[in-house]
Amino acid sequence: MTARRPEGPTLQDVIATLQAYWAERGCLVAQPWDAEVGAGTMHPETFLRVLGPKPWRVAYVQPSRRPADGRYGENPNRLYKHLQLQVILKPAPADVQDVYLKSLAALGIDPAAHDVRFEEDNWESPTLGAWGIGWQVLLDGQEITQFTYFQQAGGIDLAPISAEITYGLERITMYLQDVEDVYELRWSADRLYADVRKEEEYELSRYSFELADVDLHRLLFDRALAEGWRVLKAGDRTVLPAYDWCLKSSHAFNVLDARGAISVSQRAGMILGIRKLACAIAERCVAPAEGDVARA
Amino acid sequence: MPDSTRAEFLLEIGCEEMPAPWLPGLREQLAQRFGEAAEREHLKPAEVRSAGTPRRLVLGADVLGRQEDREEKVWGPSLKVARDAEGKWTSAAQGFARKSGVAPEALAQEARNPAAPSERNLVFVKKTAGRASLDVLPALVASLLRSLAFPKRMSWDAWLEDGKGAFPFGRPIRWLVALLDGKVVPITIYELEKGAKGRAIVDSGDVSFGHRFLPRGAAGRPLRVRSYADLEARLEEAFVVLDPAQRERRIREGLAAAAGTAPKDDHGLVDEWRDLVEYPTVVVGRIPAEFRALPREVLETVLVHHQKYIPLSEASAVTRFAAVTNTDARFADAMVRGMERVVVARLRDAAFFYGEDRKRPLAERVPDLAGVTFHQGLGTYADKVARLTRLVDAMGADLGLLTRPEHDVAREAARLAKADLTTLMVREFPELQGVMGGIYLTVEGGQWEGVARAVRWHYHPLSVEEEAAPKGAVEGSDATVFGAVSLADKLDSVAGYFGLGLAPTGSSDPYGLRRAAQGAVRVLLDFWHAGPDEKRPSLRRLVAAAISGYEGHLKRPAAEVERELEAFFLDRLRYVLVARGYPADEVESVLGARDPDALDDPHEAWLRLKALHRVRSEAHEDFEHLAVAFKRAKNILGEQKAAAVDAGLLIEAAERELHAAVARLSAANGAYEGRLRALAGLRAPVDRFFDDVLVMAEDEKIRANRLGLLSQALSLFYRIADISKLGGQA
Repeated sequence: MTARRPEGPTLQDVIATLQAYWAERGCLVAQPWDAEVGAGTMHPETFLRVLGPKPWRVAYVQPSRRPADGRYGENPNRLYKHLQLQVILKPAPADVQDVYLKSLAALGIDPAAHDVRFEEDNWESPTLGAWGIGWQVLLDGQEITQFTYFQQAGGIDLAPISAEITYGLERITMYLQDVEDVYELRWSADRLYADVRKEEEYELSRYSFELADVDLHRLLFDRALAEGWRVLKAGDRTVLPAYDWCLKSSHAFNVLDARGAISVSQRAGMILGIRKLACAIAERCVAPAEGDVARA
Repeated sequence: MPDSTRAEFLLEIGCEEMPAPWLPGLREQLAQRFGEAAEREHLKPAEVRSAGTPRRLVLGADVLGRQEDREEKVWGPSLKVARDAEGKWTSAAQGFARKSGVAPEALAQEARNPAAPSERNLVFVKKTAGRASLDVLPALVASLLRSLAFPKRMSWDAWLEDGKGAFPFGRPIRWLVALLDGKVVPITIYELEKGAKGRAIVDSGDVSFGHRFLPRGAAGRPLRVRSYADLEARLEEAFVVLDPAQRERRIREGLAAAAGTAPKDDHGLVDEWRDLVEYPTVVVGRIPAEFRALPREVLETVLVHHQKYIPLSEASAVTRFAAVTNTDARFADAMVRGMERVVVARLRDAAFFYGEDRKRPLAERVPDLAGVTFHQGLGTYADKVARLTRLVDAMGADLGLLTRPEHDVAREAARLAKADLTTLMVREFPELQGVMGGIYLTVEGGQWEGVARAVRWHYHPLSVEEEAAPKGAVEGSDATVFGAVSLADKLDSVAGYFGLGLAPTGSSDPYGLRRAAQGAVRVLLDFWHAGPDEKRPSLRRLVAAAISGYEGHLKRPAAEVERELEAFFLDRLRYVLVARGYPADEVESVLGARDPDALDDPHEAWLRLKALHRVRSEAHEDFEHLAVAFKRAKNILGEQKAAAVDAGLLIEAAERELHAAVARLSAANGAYEGRLRALAGLRAPVDRFFDDVLVMAEDEKIRANRLGLLSQALSLFYRIADISKLGGQA
C-alpha cells in the first residue's frame, strides 16, 4: 500500500514511466533542448508553443543549469544541474489535477497513503516576461512538482491557457528510493547518480565559482543579445536562432551571477535586456513577419 | 398572487485549491455581497452565512420564494395644471396619463407635501409583480461570481453570460451547487474560445464532491445534496470539515493531544493551517538531538517560514515540531518520516553553515564587505559601514545626542552591523540578517553586551505599532544605542536612494524606503531614550547629516535632496501617527505646530498629539468653536507680519478681555494637557472678540494692534497644535 519500496524504481525507470504515461495522454515526447537553460520552461517547445491558439501537448526531460546552486558535488540536495520532466497541456483540460495525480500513482505513489497538497506558489520568469498562477505540489512536506497555469509569456497574454507540470526528477526518485543523498540515487540497476554526475557537478561548480572569466562572460552576454536582435531583424524565418541567442545571453547572466559579478542595479538592467529580446521574439510568433512560418 | 413563503438558497463554488490567506476575506465577501444583491432584488435575505475550505466556497441564506410585489409612485402634474378653468383635463394631464398607460380618471390624486394637503398632484401607482426567486437567482449568482475580489485573479479560459464575457477567477471552478429549496438554480459557465462563448464547461446542479483522496477507495464520488445542512453532513462523511471554526477546533485539540500541551507560540500558523486543508489532522515529528544546539531563530526560520511547522519546546530546547496534514491519521508514521527528512535536510544545511561561519570571528569579516555591493551608485557595504560610523559619530560628537559610553557602543555596533551579510547562513536565509550577527557576537563573547543587541535589532522596527519589536528587547541606554544604529542605517539608505533619484513613486517602492523611513520615525517616537536634561534628536539635522555622509558623491544637488527628504519624512511621520488610530485632522494640527516643529522633534509631536486627542475629546465643542475662529483669524492675518500689541490702543471691552486671557495663558508652561485645557478657555473671549470687535478698523494703528492680538492668540496654540486645521471629523 505505501509507496516507498526499499528498492524503488531507478531514475531511468521514473523517466520512462512518466514519458509513457504522458505519451498515452496525447503528448509528443520531445528531446531536451541542446543549449544551456535554467528550466524546462525555456525549451522552445514550451516557450514558443504556449503562445497563440494552436493546441499542443508535449513532454520532455530538460537538464536545467543553475550555476549559483552548484555545490561541488558535496551537498546531498543541491545541484548545479538537475533534471526536470516538463509537461505542457494546451489548453489545460478540466481534469488536469486528477490526470497529474494519476501520474503519481503510475510511479507507485498512492496519494491516499500520503499527505499530498497543492499549495500556492505562483511562478514568474522575469527574463522571459512570463508568469503563471499555480502551486507547488507537496508530498509529505517535500516539493515534488511545480504546477502552473501560464498567464503570460514574452509579455503576451495567453489564450488558451496552458498547464505546465514540472517534476523535479531527483527529488521524486529520492523519495521513491528512500535515499537522503542525491548521489546515492540509483540511476540504473547498476549505476549510481554519483557515478554519472558527481565529477561533472564538481567541475561545473569549480568553473562557475572560481574560473569563469567575468570579462568574457560580460562580453558574451552583450554579444549574444546583440546577435539575437540582429538575427531577429534580419528578415523572415529567424525566430529560433534569435531565441537560441536569447538563451545564451541568459546563461551568461547566470554564470556572472554565480561569480557574484552582478550588482543589484546591474541585475535589473540585464534581466530587462533579456526580457526585451524574449518579448520581441514572442511578438514575432503571434504576429509573424511576411515570409515567416506561422508557428503559434 | 403574493407568496411570502420563504426558501433556502444554497450555493457551493467548487474550486481548485485556493491560497489559505484568501479564505477569510472570501467567505466574508460572499455573504456580504449576496446579502446586498438579494436585498436589491427584493428577496429579503435572512440568516446569510458562508463557509469554505481551499476547494469550496459555500453560501446559505433564507430568501423569499418570490420577490415582493412592489408599488412605486410616479408623480404627475399638480391639479392646478392638470385641469383647465372648466375642469377639463389639460394636455399635460393627458400626456402623463398616456405615458402611464391609463385614463386620467384612473390616476390617483395625492398631496406631495404632507404639510400642504390641499395642493395635490396626479399620481400613477406603478405596480410590479414579484418574479419567482428561481428566475431571479441565476443572474444574481452570475453577478455574485463576477463580483468576488481576489488578491490575484487568473484567466482559465472561462466565459460568463452576464454581458461581460471573459471570466477570470481566483482558481478554476470545477463544479457549482446552486439550489433553492432543493431545486436547481441553473447557472452555466462556458469556455472562452477564441475570445467568444464556447461550449458549457460547468453546469450548476445538486452534486458536490468530498475530499480528494478520502475515503480510500471511494474518493471523488458525487454527493447528491438538498440543503446547507445536508451538504455539511454529506461532506463530513466525505472527510471535509466545512466550518472553519470547527477545523480550527480540530487543529487545537490535535495540537494539544499530539504535543502533550498547547504550544506557547503558534507563530500565527493555526490560522493559516485552518484554511490550508479540508480535513486537518495534526502530527508530530522529532528533531534529531544533533540539531538542538542550533540557535532558536535558525530552527524557527526553517520550521516556521520554510515548512509551516510549529516548533515544540522541552526545557527551552526545540525538540519536536507539529505539522498539519490534510488526511486521517492512518499513515501518519510514513508521512512524519517524510516530513522529518525534509526538515533534517534543511537543518543539516543550517548546521553546516553555522559551523563554517563560526570558524571566523564576525569582526574579521568586516573587510570582506568591500566585495559586497550595496548599490552600484552607492558603493559597497564597506562604504556603507564607513558612512554609518560617521553618522553615529555625528550623533555623538556633533549633535551631542549620545553619552560617551553610548557613542562607543553604537560606533562598534555600526562597524559590525553588516558583517553577517558575508556569512553562509544569511546568504541561505536572508531573513536572518542582523539576527545572525547578534548571535555570532554573543557566542563569541568579549563584546560590550549592547553591541550584539544593537546589531541583532538594527533592521527593526519593521512595523508601525507602538508595541511592536524590538519593544521590550532593548531598554534605557541600550534603546538609544539600538536607535542610533537603526537610524543611521535607514537614513543612509533613504538619503542615498533619493540622491540617485530612486524615490518611491505611487505603489512602487522597490527599495522599501517608505518602510525604512517609518522605522526611523518609530525609533524617534518609541525608542530614543533621553533624560530631562539630554537633547533629543532632530530629524531635520539627522537628514542633513546623512546627506553629508555621502560627501558630495550623490548624483543630485544636496539641497534638493534635503528638501525632498524633509517632505518625505514628514509624510511618513503623518502615516505612522494616523496608523496609530488618531484622526487625520488632529495629526495635521500637531504637524503644523512650531518651536520645535515636528521634524525637529517628532517625539514632541507625538506627545502633543496624545494630549490634543485627550483634551479635545473632553471639550469637543470648545475646540470646534476655536477651530472655526482660528481659521477666520488665519485668513484675516494672511501672510502679513503682525505688530506687537499696545495695551493702550485696546478700546473695546472684548479686546481687552482677550488680551488679558492671552497674557495669562502665555505664562503657562508645563505638560501639554494642562495647557490645552487652559487654552480651551479662550473660546468665550475669542467668540466675543469676533462678535464685538471690527478687526479691520479704519484707523491703521488700531487695526495693526488688533491683528497683533489675534496673532498672539494664535501663537499660543502654535506651540502645541495648529488648531485651525481641526474640523470635519467628530
